Amino acid sequence: MHAFSNSGYRPVVHVMGLILLLSVIILPQAVAASGNTGEMSQGEDGRDFDARKVIVDHVLDSYEWHLFDIGEREFSIPLPVILIYEGRPYLFSSSRFDHGTSSYKGFALGTEGRSKGRVIRVLVDGRTPDPDASFIIDLSITKNVLAVFFASALLCFLFVRIAKSYRGADIYSTPKGLPLFFEPLILFVRDHIAILAIGHEKYRTFMPYLLTVFFFIFLNNLLGLVPVFPGGANVTGNISVTFVLAMFTFFTTHWYANKAYWQHMFNTPGVPAFLKFPIPILPVIEIAGAFIKPFVLMIRLFANMTAGHMVILSLTSLIFVLGSVSILMGYAISPLTVLFLVFLNFLKILVSFLQAYIFTLFSAFFFGMAVPKAGH
Amino acid sequence: MELLMPGLGLIFWMTIAFGCVLLILKKYAWKPILQVLNQREKQLAKSFSDAKRIEHEMSQLAALKTEKVAEAQQAADKIVADAREEAEQIITGAKDRAREEARVISDKADELIEKYKKEAMLEIKGQLSALSLEIAEKVLREEFSDRERNLKYVGRLLDDVASN
Repeated sequence: MHAFSNSGYRPVVHVMGLILLLSVIILPQAVAASGNTGEMSQGEDGRDFDARKVIVDHVLDSYEWHLFDIGEREFSIPLPVILIYEGRPYLFSSSRFDHGTSSYKGFALGTEGRSKGRVIRVLVDGRTPDPDASFIIDLSITKNVLAVFFASALLCFLFVRIAKSYRGADIYSTPKGLPLFFEPLILFVRDHIAILAIGHEKYRTFMPYLLTVFFFIFLNNLLGLVPVFPGGANVTGNISVTFVLAMFTFFTTHWYANKAYWQHMFNTPGVPAFLKFPIPILPVIEIAGAFIKPFVLMIRLFANMTAGHMVILSLTSLIFVLGSVSILMGYAISPLTVLFLVFLNFLKILVSFLQAYIFTLFSAFFFGMAVPKAGH
Repeated sequence: MELLMPGLGLIFWMTIAFGCVLLILKKYAWKPILQVLNQREKQLAKSFSDAKRIEHEMSQLAALKTEKVAEAQQAADKIVADAREEAEQIITGAKDRAREEARVISDKADELIEKYKKEAMLEIKGQLSALSLEIAEKVLREEFSDRERNLKYVGRLLDDVASN
């Protein structure tokens, strides 16, 4: 068994290396690309501060990874734009858009409505949306995609390393270093989530998924609190990410669902027949419930994490909003705000754990419902 | 509103990334880690039950030990008591024998004394008789010289002897 795991470890390193390499290649371009594009993001008045724009821009996904501004120069990492349009692939750097001011090969960033901040097809003038454009398949490596890649690589690196450190070690010895920190969390997921929600007989099947989803959410939540690259992306506060996680829970639930679950859904035992025939009220409710459950999972994680980010950003913006009224007010409010931010960050660390726990626990409960004992 | 709009690209990459993470961790992390944790727990449970069993056995052994010690103590006590009793018997026997012997010896001594006393009495009686005869002879001789006075003298002597 040892030799088996040993040979398998190398591809993992290669995948992680590739992902890291990708981010390293993009990094130097950042400084070069952002040099000539300073003017745009400021308002008309140099002192104007649009808190709403700052907050929404920070919680949303983006084609570039904004790092910092120095004076009027904006430093960001441009990320690759990957499009498939009318069967033809396009691959170019997001720096071609000049932070949304230019168009490239007939593509530009939308400025209003549903397409705001997304790649759209424009007419020759480089601004007007093309009304006849067909659907653009946008597979760009955006800020959140890169953040997901980074977190994934980190997760694989961490836990494969931990697994390796157990190999050949005395199993009675107290774990040291990484295992010392993660072992209680792994046991927590096993004892207080999986066994609690699914039961002793069947929890083992779902352990890999529950552990992965718990640590994926937890790590991304924590990385979202780190204000500098590669942290700070609002990954778990993005509806697409929580959608995918909820879908994994949904499909896992129904892949492993046993006969009792399906019977419960379509022909619930122990209820009067008129609820099932001729109008299948109960089956409809049950089927709706099956979809509502992951939907709620998706919304809960997304809303909690986004709200947290927004509160932190709002408080930070308060300094600049008041500062744009009077510089003295900005200075006066900052100690209070910073104190509050410190408190909020601690709160967010708690919430990071809590949301990971809740998502995992509810997933486990759904699995538990999918594999009930017959006759229950 | 932009917040609630899912992005196709992000969904695509997220599915791939999360799927890969799930598969990689399942095979190379969770399986070995959970195996070690399970193994450790089994071993700990086994050690615990072993310890319990050994503790039970130890308490049984301790009970057995106290029992054995008590038995040995009893036996020792009995031996000492028997020995003491025997010694007492021996001493009493010896004393009795000594007393008996002493009584026998003293009886013999009494007999001898009685015998010697009788012999002495006999001898004294014999000598007294000879002496009496001698005195009587001398008195008789004296009597024959001073008849009157000798007669009184003999009478007085005889009285003296009789009182002795």
